[in-house]
Amino acid sequence: MRTKKEYLIRYKDGNLYCELADIWIDPSKPVKKALITHAHFDHFTFGCEEYISTKETAILLKERVGDNIKIKTFEYGEEFKINGINISFHPSGHILGSSQIRFIFAEEKWLISGDFKLQKDQTCKQYEIVKTDYLISECTFGLPIFKWDESNKIANDISKWITNSPEKTSLLFCYSLGKAQRLLNEISQTNFKGNIYSHGSIHKMNNSYRKLGIDIKDTIKIENKKKIDELKGSLILLPPSLSKGSYLKNFKNIQTAFASGWMSIRALRKRSGYDKGFAISDHADWDGILEVVKKSEAKNVFFHHGDSEALSKYLLEKESINVLLFSK
Amino acid sequence: MSLKKFSELFGDLDSINSTNNKIEVLKNYFLSNDPIDNSWAIYLLTGKSNKRFISGRYLKNLFSQIYEYPQWLIDTCYLKVGDSAEVISLLLKNKTNSRKKKLSNISLNELLSETIPALSKLNEEEKNLEIKNIWETLPEDNHLVFNKILTGTFRVGVSIGLITKSISKLFNIEQEIISHRLMGDFKPSIDSYEFLINKNINLQELNSKPFPFLLANTIEDKIFKNSINDFQFEWKYDGIRMQLIKRSGNVSLWTRGQELVNESFPELVEKMSHIKDDFVLDGELLVWNFKEQIAFDFSLLQKRINRKSPTRSIQIKYPIIFIAYDLLEINGRDIREIKLENRRIELEKYFSKWQIKTENNISDIFKICDLIFPKDWPDALTYKEKSRENNTEGLIIKKKTSIYSSGRKKGIWWKYKVDPMQLDAVLIYAKGGSGRRAGLYTDYSFALWKDKELIKFASAYSGLTNIEIKELDKWIRKNTIEKFGPVRSLKPEMVFEISFEKIQISKRHKSGIAVRFPRITKWRKDKKINDADSLENAYELIKKYHEKYHEK
Ligand SMILES: [Zn+2]
Ligand SMILES: [Zn+2]
Repeated sequence: MRTKKEYLIRYKDGNLYCELADIWIDPSKPVKKALITHAHFDHFTFGCEEYISTKETAILLKERVGDNIKIKTFEYGEEFKINGINISFHPSGHILGSSQIRFIFAEEKWLISGDFKLQKDQTCKQYEIVKTDYLISECTFGLPIFKWDESNKIANDISKWITNSPEKTSLLFCYSLGKAQRLLNEISQTNFKGNIYSHGSIHKMNNSYRKLGIDIKDTIKIENKKKIDELKGSLILLPPSLSKGSYLKNFKNIQTAFASGWMSIRALRKRSGYDKGFAISDHADWDGILEVVKKSEAKNVFFHHGDSEALSKYLLEKESINVLLFSK
Repeated sequence: MSLKKFSELFGDLDSINSTNNKIEVLKNYFLSNDPIDNSWAIYLLTGKSNKRFISGRYLKNLFSQIYEYPQWLIDTCYLKVGDSAEVISLLLKNKTNSRKKKLSNISLNELLSETIPALSKLNEEEKNLEIKNIWETLPEDNHLVFNKILTGTFRVGVSIGLITKSISKLFNIEQEIISHRLMGDFKPSIDSYEFLINKNINLQELNSKPFPFLLANTIEDKIFKNSINDFQFEWKYDGIRMQLIKRSGNVSLWTRGQELVNESFPELVEKMSHIKDDFVLDGELLVWNFKEQIAFDFSLLQKRINRKSPTRSIQIKYPIIFIAYDLLEINGRDIREIKLENRRIELEKYFSKWQIKTENNISDIFKICDLIFPKDWPDALTYKEKSRENNTEGLIIKKKTSIYSSGRKKGIWWKYKVDPMQLDAVLIYAKGGSGRRAGLYTDYSFALWKDKELIKFASAYSGLTNIEIKELDKWIRKNTIEKFGPVRSLKPEMVFEISFEKIQISKRHKSGIAVRFPRITKWRKDKKINDADSLENAYELIKKYHEKYHEK
């Protein structure tokens, strides 16, 4: 038996760290070398000497934070070596460019899931099953009350929500990278044919997606002084940070909604302050997490990013899979 | 015409904020569904369906048994969701993929008059099978409403007033008439629905209509510039504001929320019907301490409000009184346009006549409000501060020349509420909330110093903003000392300003004091726990407001 100290990857200062390669995964503070799973800001920090990611993640990051970061890129599946460890990126289905990261050292395989989902999403590569000995998985939605509907059903609900109130301006709040593009892609396949506007931050990401070869419906960049009549019956995509405060005063006669996995719970919907919630997520639901744990064939599983207590107990009782805890 | 349509309505009402839109959605629903389902919908929406066919616990056990789900996992989910019916409906999404379609378009009427009542005739095994069968044949977005009806927990965020308003607008019948017709034992049927929307209004219905209520505004400084003699002063009671109407021999009690509450207070209806005149009185209903001649706490009144046809012993245990403030109509003559000071003369005149001339004694259930006569504004302030002693909330100040108009009209009536009492206390326990606060730690307990020990003195759950609740929740999770079930004991570190309405000695509490309506009024991030108040400070407050406690 190995002791915890000898694990190839462990938790250090609240971040995943591989001592042998002296490399950090999605670190929250500046380090020498950082592997980045995807371009969401909670997986990235400024000031690292060197970043390593997929090509798409690198481009999205530079779009978001500027060109002056040093970043090395690899294709999905392409192996590279650091201190004798073979490392490779594999699609995680979360957003464009998102990846799982595999480490192989002395015939021992480690897999960091990154943020992932199994649901179909035409704006990024489908999750790839990767076999491993050790799995470090996220578990944001690790309870069986989370069971996602097909995304086209949600898109149809959104379409109905807009068209049922033709006299209103419908503001849909969603994360500007990933969720917004996925929604645009799905909504363009529904009966809703009205105008779609998007906030600058979302508009920018749409363009990046297009540059990377993803077909995203054209939207109009929202100007602050749009005539209210023009906006009637149309859809406006905005980042959640604008839902509080004075920004909404730019609009009259609005209805608001938030697109997030948390919206499947009525109490959270009510508390969110939005009129409506659409339960759509770029993370795996309960079944998705279980499927990945099983199909990865991992003998040892760690969870992070979420409450893992119930999930761990369930895996032990039902699947005899032992879930390990990082010493932090 | 189905549970499906009703589930959609439930979802819509849940996600619409504007009252007008809610009314539109309700109108459309009533227009597009048949009378029998409409009558059931009204029955559900007005909260008349609180019968519990099975308990939430039973529902969770049943799910666990059928689908071999560990009970602890369901309980964990419940902590996140805060509602048994909803937890099961969410978990069912994972389980009922094979659709049999048979029930998929069941009408509300069939569900509520046949399917669900039939459950209670089955033995446990059959009942469980039948519920499983219903679960597996209902479309998944109907599960929530079904489970809620089953567990008697169906509620939706619309008031009875809004339902009656929608029906009233749709069929062009006055709202008070609809309220009157919905009162009491509304049994869903085609007949009851046809009666509800019948445009022919009978005399008794017409006679029961209340006037729009006139409401008081918060005190404004400019009032102090006026002569004290321009105003009438009354105590502000903390009861149910009500119009007591007697016309053509029939008595009706209307709350401000357009609710007819005759059935909750039959003894008042009975007594008042002996008075020979017809009248409309504006006043307050209270549970009354006849010995001390002051009101009991509102909490006692709550024991009466929701109880229809109270037994004789309940009536004795919680004796009510109606205190009239104003006379609005007398023997068919609307006197609302007469000046307040003259209406008051009429009120006093008729009250003394009724006391003498009515065969039964009415003064054990009905009186008119006493007036207060401060000699100047500082004196008024002194009266206001004294209001704690007689369990009132402060003063109501009314312009003597005002007429009785409607709504919160500016510049004629004011409320002058007593300031809350406050102590700075230390947060020591937190508990998970339920309902819309599920998943967050929102119920807090606070302590005061006694020597070097912190002694719990109050619990509160309201007063913080959503943002503060989230921030505090985070802090709580990081600073837990111990967990006992849903409760966590916390590192003493956070100080809060707790306000309350009343403080008194209590032998039942470890701290020896009890406070009423404690609430958080400020998160004192500027204070360290050593700055928090002590029990000594609390006793001083008691001394200040209840001299009599210490004389004994
Ligand atoms: Zn992410
Ligand atoms: Zn993330």
